[in-house]
Amino acid sequence: MTEASSGSGSGRGQLRPGLWDTVNERYPGSMIDKMDFVPLAPVRKPLSECRLVFVSTSGVQPKGTMPFDTVHPVGDYSFRRVPSSARPEDLEIHQIKYPTMGANRDINVIFPIERLRELADEGVIGGLTENFYTFIGYNMDPERLERTLAAEIATAVSEEGADIALAAPA
Amino acid sequence: MQRDLEQRGIPTVSPTVSLDVTQHAKPPRAVFLPFLMGHHFGVPFHRDLQRRIILECLDHLVNAERPGEIRFPSITWAQARREGIEIERRLGLR
Repeated sequence: MTEASSGSGSGRGQLRPGLWDTVNERYPGSMIDKMDFVPLAPVRKPLSECRLVFVSTSGVQPKGTMPFDTVHPVGDYSFRRVPSSARPEDLEIHQIKYPTMGANRDINVIFPIERLRELADEGVIGGLTENFYTFIGYNMDPERLERTLAAEIATAVSEEGADIALAAPA
Repeated sequence: MQRDLEQRGIPTVSPTVSLDVTQHAKPPRAVFLPFLMGHHFGVPFHRDLQRRIILECLDHLVNAERPGEIRFPSITWAQARREGIEIERRLGLR
């Protein structure tokens, strides 16, 4: 079943209804609010020939990399590269903005790196980019987010030769 | 960011557990799961569910017809948790 995005905000079935209003009241102006849709880019090859990139706001990062700053007044506009060959034990999460009890036990709950590798190995998708990309959703300035972080990641993803992108919030 | 990728010619899709946020942000394609935040791909150790969610996303990537189209798979959080608990018991984790 599908529907076009209507903006009604009915909270249909979501476990935290009214999240957009709640966060926007707490951090005024921080929530992304678009007036239009962008045209769909077509999928030009069969999935079995597509190289997939995974982009996530979960803040999952390789151990030893600088933790995302989840308490800075205006947020964190950096990103990390996560090798698509990384093992779960090579990764960590520094996050206080979303429930991590599932991810702490099985990172695939928020960052399905093993599932994606399996799908690539099985030939369901053609392959994975060398790196996945992560950042955090805690950034107070949506215009700055678009101008800097989103553009930087989009450039990096293009340079990795991605054909399709699975993007996931947290 | 998803919109930026789409405009550069890379088709994108994302799972969401917050329908109202998605309706404001207007990503090109989205798949709604009635799950807890931070659990967009399901519950721990439930490989089949995690895989199913990815495959739903990829199918929507290919078959969506309109910008902003949201897909609603027939999965509930209660079902996911029940199955996850059963899996953990079989694995000796509970």
